[in-house]
Amino acid sequence: MSGAVPDLGYGIGWRPAIDLTVERLPGVDFVEAIAEGLDPARLPPSLTALRARGVPAIPHGVSLSLGGAERPDPRKLAHLAACATALDTPLVSEHIAFTRAGGLDAGHLLPLPRTRETLAVLAENIRIAQDQLPVPLALENIAPLLAWPGDELTEGRFLYEVADRTGALLLLDVANLHAARVNLGVDPSAVLAELPLEQVAYVHVAGGVERDGLWHDTHTHPPTAPVLDLLTDLAGRTRIPGVLLERDGDYPSDPELAGELAAVRSAVARAGPAKPRGTGRTPAPHTRGPRADEPADPPHPAPHTAAPGPARRRADGP
Amino acid sequence: MTADPRATTAAAQYALLAALTAGGQAPPGFDETRIRTQAHALLTKRQRVARAHHTWLADALGPGYTAAFTAYARAHPLPAGRTGHADAEAFETYLRDRGELPARPRGRFRRRAGTPRRRGR
Repeated sequence: MSGAVPDLGYGIGWRPAIDLTVERLPGVDFVEAIAEGLDPARLPPSLTALRARGVPAIPHGVSLSLGGAERPDPRKLAHLAACATALDTPLVSEHIAFTRAGGLDAGHLLPLPRTRETLAVLAENIRIAQDQLPVPLALENIAPLLAWPGDELTEGRFLYEVADRTGALLLLDVANLHAARVNLGVDPSAVLAELPLEQVAYVHVAGGVERDGLWHDTHTHPPTAPVLDLLTDLAGRTRIPGVLLERDGDYPSDPELAGELAAVRSAVARAGPAKPRGTGRTPAPHTRGPRADEPADPPHPAPHTAAPGPARRRADGP
Repeated sequence: MTADPRATTAAAQYALLAALTAGGQAPPGFDETRIRTQAHALLTKRQRVARAHHTWLADALGPGYTAAFTAYARAHPLPAGRTGHADAEAFETYLRDRGELPARPRGRFRRRAGTPRRRGR
């Protein structure tokens, strides 16, 4: 199901409020757009222009509630699939979270209890989604403010199980990993050690703010040093196919945004030469054998060894 | 594992979400301070989303917007699947029903085709 992970390079979250900025920012190899805000029959001109230049655009869903007790809404799935087709995207992404329950809506991504029972429901929902999507699905760890009692699995093991049971790719958000560290005492290194790193499709980086000892994932601040250090740590463990900066408000000037993207590139470069994918993981029980479709030494350049601009465009782009 | 993981998941998630958005009690085992923090974060986000759909109402209510929206949100937890646009409309209806909806500013919104644009109001 997962197949080979395409090289994405460095990207930024496309938002209507900064569409021209994103279009014109140098060194943007790919973008991501919130699927719920898109009409696949009438794509925003800015996204169409980016696609015409061969810049991949990944639809990013926020309301499928894949960790919810209900099976994913067929209309929402059809919408995500239509977005994927309209954008001719290499993959789509969603979250490991729930947003609805019993007729109530959180309007936000809420954490799941890390139990085998939840895992069973989540995995089935993910497989239902995968069946309806024309491209691979990548799943993101969220920024938790609270923890469920009675967790049976570590954060890393839970993500490992999700990827292992469904073949889904992972969208690893290092800012959310930092949130888990500050808010719940999760050790990011332990998480990275347990993850199937070869299934990480791309990485999210974003800014947040610490208030009263809690990390709030605001996306309205520049990424901070602890978050960029986690990116460096990850880049030292595996070749990262893509890194995307998220910004959702209090938008800075274009040069400042370019500076934030440069800081993200530097954080990856600090890790040194790329390693083959998947090294550094502690072998876990139930691990599958190496996949035949996964070269030990991938032919594509990793983000920090890749040339910016046209060389990063997809060969199969329009 | 129980016979129906979906049923137990549904009950547990509803209990948490009701505590976060509908004034329900914190389910056993949760940190009540964190429940309050998360509840506040959800309310703040809901208000921010509605406000973005409704700049005229935010302008008209001024500093009273937050208190009015909070009262509305406490009385009307967000129903599953409601969009920010629909929530902003529901807030407007809530205020109208209570006789608390401010007058919508005229001029800027009432300009007919062919009428010259006026600067200011």
